[in-house]
Amino acid sequence: MNLVNCKGLSKSYGDKKALNQVDITLHAGSPIALVGPNGAGKTTLFSLLCGYIAPSAGEVNLLGHKPGSPELLGRIASLPQDATLDPNLDVLTQLSFFATLQGYSDKNAKAEAMRVLNLVDLASSAKQKPSSLSHGMAKRVAIAQALMGTPELVLLDEPTAGLDPANAKKIRELVKSLSTNTTFIISSHNLDELEKLCDQVLYLEHGQLRQSVSMNESQHDDYITLTMQHCEPSALIEAVLNLADISSIEERQSNQFLIKHNSAEVYGIEIALLNLFKQRNWQYKALLKGRTLEEKLFS
Amino acid sequence: MENNAPETTTKNSMLKNTLLIAKFEIKKMLFNPRGLIALIAFALVWLLILLYPISGASSFLINPDFRGIIEGVFGPNTLSELFKWPVAELAVYWIAALYIFPLFSIFVSADQFATDKARGTFRFLSLRVGRDSLFFGRFIGHMALQCLLLALTVIATILLAITRDMSLLLPAISSGLIVTMNLMIVLLPYTALMAILSLYANSARQATIYAILVWAAMSISIAIINNYLPIISELKWALPGAQISLMINTQGLQTFMYAPVALIQAAVLLFLGKMYINRSAL
Repeated sequence: MNLVNCKGLSKSYGDKKALNQVDITLHAGSPIALVGPNGAGKTTLFSLLCGYIAPSAGEVNLLGHKPGSPELLGRIASLPQDATLDPNLDVLTQLSFFATLQGYSDKNAKAEAMRVLNLVDLASSAKQKPSSLSHGMAKRVAIAQALMGTPELVLLDEPTAGLDPANAKKIRELVKSLSTNTTFIISSHNLDELEKLCDQVLYLEHGQLRQSVSMNESQHDDYITLTMQHCEPSALIEAVLNLADISSIEERQSNQFLIKHNSAEVYGIEIALLNLFKQRNWQYKALLKGRTLEEKLFS
Repeated sequence: MENNAPETTTKNSMLKNTLLIAKFEIKKMLFNPRGLIALIAFALVWLLILLYPISGASSFLINPDFRGIIEGVFGPNTLSELFKWPVAELAVYWIAALYIFPLFSIFVSADQFATDKARGTFRFLSLRVGRDSLFFGRFIGHMALQCLLLALTVIATILLAITRDMSLLLPAISSGLIVTMNLMIVLLPYTALMAILSLYANSARQATIYAILVWAAMSISIAIINNYLPIISELKWALPGAQISLMINTQGLQTFMYAPVALIQAAVLLFLGKMYINRSAL
């Protein structure tokens, strides 16, 4: 059974088409990324998948059911953008209540709430009211609630936006560790983060699905992305072009070069590059097989 | 949870979740500082009503001369039933509560959905409970809270009556039960209409303003229709509270005479509310 199936999915707000004829089929497995510029329709797509809003046209199915169906209750969770908990009740009370709605007994609900708060390192804030939490802490509590009861699908809308780097890293590690039992769909502007986490990337623009990129495929690309510490770009380009099996080299960003090759033996190219750096005493920062997600999406 | 939960299980969990939401709603209103302040304000207002109008007026009501004055002013049969109440305190309470509780209901139940919807809290709930459970759970919670407060004021009135005359205990209890049941029925359409307005509004204050607009607009329209098209004058029964002025001059089991009006209004409004929550964006 497909995890997510959208056919001709459209959503309009007045004259504006937030989503226009989107067809998506997703399978359970590794985390899936949803990227796109502001106003591309990412949050609208999330809201449609969660059943918060109804589509203007088209169909959407999750695990074989329409969003909002009783069969999906408790099996899908989400970190909605801009949604906040009740500021008058403490975090533990609210999370325990969510757990009781998912079928936990009162005692087990408390334990489940504490378990997910522990996952996001906020067990010590369980008795605090949401209004006394910082933006980042509130976001982590919202992520915690999405992990209750081990749902089959979790939609995270910009999970690390507003988090400090250490906590953002913890959330990434958490998502990775939980992705054996749960499929995550993550919307984010942080392409590096998505590259580390996701196998599949959906690119939305102007309400339409422009690309669906598999990160695994990129391993077989005939590309190498080279990032140098510092060097003379023209000298590097000239030297690399003189190596065997190199089709082209372009400087894409400051000190970052995209090399296209036509060799089936990638290690040969890599060894040749490393030898070249040794000879010229050039320091490299990173050598990436394939292209970066940014390159794949925007070049 | 099973992928293809049997129908009965889905229904059971819907009922269970509806009750859980209702229970949580009561807890939320009673056990947080804001709820407690509202409760204290409510208790103080009723203490004043009990101590002065109810306690004072009931002594007038027992006086046959006062009855003569009332009949002289309002006509012989307008308030005749009022004097038939076995417990005078409950007769005065009946009039006060018939007007105060609906008004109170508009304020108390204005935030059934508005704030939670505006800050997105429903987005955490709607993936765990169906929208029907959410709607009816909140409605039941708000009704239960109002019934609790209603029962407390009735008990206080009964206590007031028996401090005057201990022999009134049994008639006071039976009249108290009738009054409580009746007022609960009266409050049903008010709470149901506020549920709909609260779903539409972005804040409790906005929902209250909509309520004032709805009642004012409907009263004016009904008056105009009555004037020009008396044939459909029965339309007046569509407005929650339309029966209240007629209920004042009823007593005992007779008070239930107008219950069907409120029950039908509540059923229609709840049906509309259920449709609305299932179609609205959360």
